[in-house]
Amino acid sequence: MSGVVFLTKDESVQTDVGAVKLSRGGGGRPVLWLHSAMGEAADALTADLVADFTVAAPYFPGFSGSEGIEQIEDMEDAVYHLLDLMDRLQMERPIVAGLSLGGWMAAELAVRYPDSVSGLVIANPAGLYIEGHPIGEIFGRSTSEIADEIFADTEQPLYQAMKGIGGSIEKSLSSGELPFDVVRPHLESQAAVAKLAWNPYLHNPRLRRRLNRVKVPTVVLSGTKDGLIPPAHPEAFAAEIPGARLERVEAGHMLVLERPDVIAAAVRSIS
Amino acid sequence: MRFFSFHLMPYPELPDDYDGPAWITIPNKLFDPAVGTQVYNRYIDELIYAEELGFDGVCVNEHHQNAYGIMPSPNLIASILARQTSRVRIAVVGNALPLYDPPTRVAEEFAMIDNISGGRLIAGLVVGGGPEYYSFSINPAHARERFAEAHDIVLKAWTEPGPFEYIGKHYKLRYVNSWPRPVQQPHPEVWIPGAGSVETVEFVAKHRYAYMGIPYFHISVFERMFKMFREACQKEGYEADPQQMGWLVPIFVAETDEEARAQYEEHFWYFVKRLLPGITISPPGYTSLRSYENMMKGMGSFMASLDSWEQVVDGQYAIVGSPETVTQRLTENLERLGAGNLLGLFQLGTLPADLTKRNLELFSSEVMPKLRAQFPDVAAAS
Repeated sequence: MSGVVFLTKDESVQTDVGAVKLSRGGGGRPVLWLHSAMGEAADALTADLVADFTVAAPYFPGFSGSEGIEQIEDMEDAVYHLLDLMDRLQMERPIVAGLSLGGWMAAELAVRYPDSVSGLVIANPAGLYIEGHPIGEIFGRSTSEIADEIFADTEQPLYQAMKGIGGSIEKSLSSGELPFDVVRPHLESQAAVAKLAWNPYLHNPRLRRRLNRVKVPTVVLSGTKDGLIPPAHPEAFAAEIPGARLERVEAGHMLVLERPDVIAAAVRSIS
Repeated sequence: MRFFSFHLMPYPELPDDYDGPAWITIPNKLFDPAVGTQVYNRYIDELIYAEELGFDGVCVNEHHQNAYGIMPSPNLIASILARQTSRVRIAVVGNALPLYDPPTRVAEEFAMIDNISGGRLIAGLVVGGGPEYYSFSINPAHARERFAEAHDIVLKAWTEPGPFEYIGKHYKLRYVNSWPRPVQQPHPEVWIPGAGSVETVEFVAKHRYAYMGIPYFHISVFERMFKMFREACQKEGYEADPQQMGWLVPIFVAETDEEARAQYEEHFWYFVKRLLPGITISPPGYTSLRSYENMMKGMGSFMASLDSWEQVVDGQYAIVGSPETVTQRLTENLERLGAGNLLGLFQLGTLPADLTKRNLELFSSEVMPKLRAQFPDVAAAS
């Protein structure tokens, strides 16, 4: 890479399943950022990291116009998509960092292909089933209820936008108060998440016993006020991944929006 | 015209202080088995009585984990009807194919009913309602693909010599070999219910099946649906037969219009306000976004949004009145829709046994003969 600090958004790269949208830029050691099931942009995080790293933040197929979800059926396909994407972006052994669904994907990649990554930052990850600590329901709920579970910081613009929708998306759509085009990307991405996580619900029963295959420096971030994925989940990742460091942050589920600085520091701590 | 008596088998005794949805999460402690024992038997009696009254057929359907219709296995009810009736068509509308794994189970059970009834089964094939994908933890993003594959498996199991292999994306069956085979050849009449999605309409037209308009919408929605269906048939190179279309509608007949409304209205609102909430839940990936957008646009004309009896009458959401009024309204609407099957819901919500019985009797003695005279073409063909 050129080494020049820059960040471009809405770029697109051709992959085996179609054109994928992404933000990318920077120079130096590669970092791949994977978003959560919300499909949120990670502008603050990537703007910070491009100072020191070659950063790519792709949108998974089904999110924000990335193509190819019809060719992805499960987490195994998702992992192959990530390998393909890393090849296309010429990212050799990146640090892979991700939030929630993205953290789960990072772990699935690292247990299957331990040599394909050089470090992991896993924030509030999905991926495990832990008796007595269920992950909250993300499908079919009102956006307002979900907002309260995923944000501790109620000043966040996305929190306020979600509260603004009020009751169910269905009601807002049928009354015409919400234009369909505003919701379309959300509906598309929910369908993509359903393919990966409807059943088993947001977990892979085989993942836990494989976590000891992760060979690289790992930081697990736990938002102690996460109302969606209980802290027992990041704690279990940290306990199972050899040498992983668990860092507790007083924040909610959407760490990449509430505390991008903490994620950036975790990435830097690996390099 | 063919006349069917359709039963949803609703749960009629939700407590007054329960105001939650009737689907997925409705606590099953609200189900009283004593009520169940009573209403299952009563509802079966009501279906059997339709044969005695001269109906052409009876209809049952499948829903899970809800109070709207306590018939998770319509095939159980249909097999009772196969024995307890001797003439009527038994329409199971239908089996939710993606919920059966492997779907050869549907080919087998339907063929059993067709054998036991001596060839009287009408085979309804459905995707299943949105709530069912929560209730069964079946991935809604696979709903349409699974339905398409399961449909092929069921039809092949009936029409192609077994054993054969079926290797699809969702089902991999090395030995498909349905015992029994259906009595009706090449296969029982197939009905597909739909709520107006383009994909479903085109699918039904292509296979020359019958399209059953899903109820609880303003009459103009049905009109659009059937117009779309006729056009889809024309694109396939043929004119739709009226028997390929069915209109499902709540019907209540009493001596006078005033008496009909007075006897019926509270039971109707129980259905609308207590049993419908939750039925339209659409899990992610369950429909194409194009269909979902259309569905959302149509929600304003969905029965659950009604508040006044005037709206019910204006939109023809239910046909209620004296024999004269009901005859006149049904005639107008059947002419308008061009449907050759009338699927009446004669019991709805909390409508009690005595009023349901009287309703069926008045309809069959005072209304049905006039409609048969009015729409003779199809009756002669059937």
